[in-house]
Amino acid sequence: MNPLTHIAYDQHVLIKLPSDNSKICFIKKDGVIGLGKFGSFNINDIVGYPLGTTFDIVYDSSVEDTLTETDASASTEVKSAEEKPKEDSVGSEETGQPAKKKQKKFVNKPVGKIVPRLYATNAEDDAEEETSSSERSAIVADAAADLIALQNSSATNKDLINLGSKVQKMTSEEIEKLKEASVDGQEIIQKIIESHENFHQKTVYSQEKYMSRKQKKFAKTFTVEYLTSSGLLQYLFYKGDTMRINDMSIETMAMLLNLGNVQPCGHYLVMDESGGLLVYALMERMFGGNNLEKENLGTITFLHESEHANLDLLKYSNYSSEFISKHIKTISVWEFFEPSTKEELAKDVVFLTNEQINKLHPHKKGTYHRKLKWYHNQLELVNIASKKDYDGLILNTTLQLTGLVPKLGEYLHGSRPLVCYSQFREPLLELSHKLYTDLRYLAPTVLETRCRPYQSIRGKIHPLMTMRGGGGYLLWCQKVLPVDPESLT
Amino acid sequence: MTTEALHSASTDLASKSTFQSYKDIVQENDLVLIWISRDHIKPVVMKHGENFNTRYGTFPHTSIIGKPYGSQIATRTAKANKFGFIHVLQPTAELWTLSLPHRTQIVYTYDSSYIMNRLRLGPNSTIIEAGTGSGSLSHQLARTCGKVLTYEFHEVRCEQAKQEFKEHGLLEEDNGNLVITHRDVCNEGFKLNDRDCEASAVFLDLPAPWDAIPHLNTQGILKKNEKVSVCCFSPCFEQVDKTLKALKENGWQEIEMVEIQGKNFESRRQMVRTLDDAINILKDQKERKDAGIEKRNKMNKKILTEAAKNSKTENQTENSATTSKDETKAEVEGSGTEADKQTDATEQSPQLKKPKFNPFGKGFKVKEGDLNYNWIQVSKMESEIKSHTSYLTFASKIYDMKRETEPNDQ
Repeated sequence: MNPLTHIAYDQHVLIKLPSDNSKICFIKKDGVIGLGKFGSFNINDIVGYPLGTTFDIVYDSSVEDTLTETDASASTEVKSAEEKPKEDSVGSEETGQPAKKKQKKFVNKPVGKIVPRLYATNAEDDAEEETSSSERSAIVADAAADLIALQNSSATNKDLINLGSKVQKMTSEEIEKLKEASVDGQEIIQKIIESHENFHQKTVYSQEKYMSRKQKKFAKTFTVEYLTSSGLLQYLFYKGDTMRINDMSIETMAMLLNLGNVQPCGHYLVMDESGGLLVYALMERMFGGNNLEKENLGTITFLHESEHANLDLLKYSNYSSEFISKHIKTISVWEFFEPSTKEELAKDVVFLTNEQINKLHPHKKGTYHRKLKWYHNQLELVNIASKKDYDGLILNTTLQLTGLVPKLGEYLHGSRPLVCYSQFREPLLELSHKLYTDLRYLAPTVLETRCRPYQSIRGKIHPLMTMRGGGGYLLWCQKVLPVDPESLT
Repeated sequence: MTTEALHSASTDLASKSTFQSYKDIVQENDLVLIWISRDHIKPVVMKHGENFNTRYGTFPHTSIIGKPYGSQIATRTAKANKFGFIHVLQPTAELWTLSLPHRTQIVYTYDSSYIMNRLRLGPNSTIIEAGTGSGSLSHQLARTCGKVLTYEFHEVRCEQAKQEFKEHGLLEEDNGNLVITHRDVCNEGFKLNDRDCEASAVFLDLPAPWDAIPHLNTQGILKKNEKVSVCCFSPCFEQVDKTLKALKENGWQEIEMVEIQGKNFESRRQMVRTLDDAINILKDQKERKDAGIEKRNKMNKKILTEAAKNSKTENQTENSATTSKDETKAEVEGSGTEADKQTDATEQSPQLKKPKFNPFGKGFKVKEGDLNYNWIQVSKMESEIKSHTSYLTFASKIYDMKRETEPNDQ
């Protein structure tokens, strides 16, 4: 089974929830994943399906497995994802409750059965299904269409009077009870609609709207996706980690990869403050998520400002640690700009012949090998710092750019791109002015790209009413080799 | 393995297309991009004995061949002591997009980069592109994807594109990864004679993508049992509506339309003009005005006394008397009411040695960034922006979904 296309064991996947939030989960054999109010399920039940499949969690009377305490600890959901679930808060009965309490409440929820939703491959299947054209409401498409068809929908809302919560005959306690009883999301929604006094007076559009709002809250459904770099970015965004990724948007990250001309065979010099998001995106573009070694020899040299590199997010990647250490070389800015000489390094090591090594005491042998490993590691860093022909310089750093970039630019081969990301335009503006006066940089340009999503429902197409602001800026230029003015006589 | 070893290995790939590798030195027969200015980048094949002409001068190819990529090349212009410069760059898909000969409207990097990311393109992807058009996107796809299957229905454009791909070493028959087919996909579909496409992504830049969408269902076109994605690129809203309908009818999911807006900024400078300086100008004017009045009063007095003298002296030449009279007349009129004339008069006065206070360089041609003045850095949006390219409609689907079983359950 190919983990790039199918849900396989021992990989991280992105799980998209009805509320538009997502979480990263590890597919561990015999584990259970709890999605809070959206239900929980056995991991074994989803393995083997293609990534991108949407599953419904169903509870019927025959389901008797309950999640015991031990099962709960085996639950492999990623902790950080649960820390701050930013649930949809429209009239939610649960919003006031702290996350911890919520988590505990669902520990004893029974594990549901999994039903993968099949894609309609036949045009006839849903040609008539105009009422549920929304991507989201497709989640419970059939039931919704039936229900709406059953109601005598009035064309306008002229008789509708806002009575607040009075129109809903079910109390929030009753809804809670339904949820406690682990009834299908579908059934809850149906009951809510049935006891909604004015539902049949709503227009078809607002009925749909009401449905999809309830689905976002109660539908027990989820989609398992491959963990792409943009999926990871989105996940961090929903988690509220915009600061961590320096407010980078998906479209800006995408633009950066293209302007950087990122290819499988390239050697890139990278600084990235996002904990490895950018490195993950570069690797995705270079290797496509493949651990398999082909003739592919591209590398990323990762420069870091503190003693150790922060590539924390790579823990979610499905590359092996051997693959990562082969393709990512980390070096601190100090080691990079002020490398030791080979002679200095050699001074600290006494080189022994094989015979001499064999004569050593076992634990002295260990010490010697550790020392030798350190030496070779340092030697590699020296080599990295002496290489002056990188194929691209890609930066996402809040270090002062005017001081940094011209120094790093020296390590770039002629005719190779330099792409620098910044959350703010001003530092790039300053950098751009600096590079203008430096003949080694050709045509620095500051760019901005913004994506505007639309509500893509036929008959109701419009740009989204609100969306995320920001997204950052890029500076792009080419490294060039100026003519020596001395030669011009 | 050391990085040195890694790098020497990558230079072995030099036989690959210039768009899919990195080159060090310009060699004969290389396609290079000659950068003359931002809006003027020319693709040129290097040949000994040929020249590249610009309005700044002539650059013999021999002066370029053998130099590292990225080199600035100088040539003496017609005027003996001046030099003209160009930069010689290795072609990349993005630079090609800025320089290519347009046969049709092209997909710019703002759109293409987003499309490539959203379709999750990488070395494992096989993508279908229709139509090829000017090949702007094809080059970017060939750089990134494992395989590119591109279709063009216009025979002449198809031949031109094929020739270009051949020259760029992208065609599959020349060890590249691109296959171009002359085909009207809306009527004839995507089926290739010799094989299945087995694509994982589709990009449709067609006037009527909804006619092509049903053809994607043909066996062998898209991968079965895994998620495949499509992007339709249409400039008009009505096209989007029809596309949405076709996608839905054919079982596509996660349908979303977006728009990309890209902007370039120029880095410019604005002169710092302080309030204090503005006040000082006014003060200076007042000072000059006062000085002028005082001087004129003195002069008037002098003239009057001289006139008095003259009236007494009968041996006065007619000529000088007229001049004095005229001067007196002018000065008297001036000193009365009009401030402007006074200032003019003071300015013209050669006796006043203090230069006019002019901190903003008014009246002079001040070059942006002149070191005699202070400047702040500003960014200026390009004067013309692409306010609309096309709407991008994305969707995904899993054909023939079935569950695969692990052969030996780890």
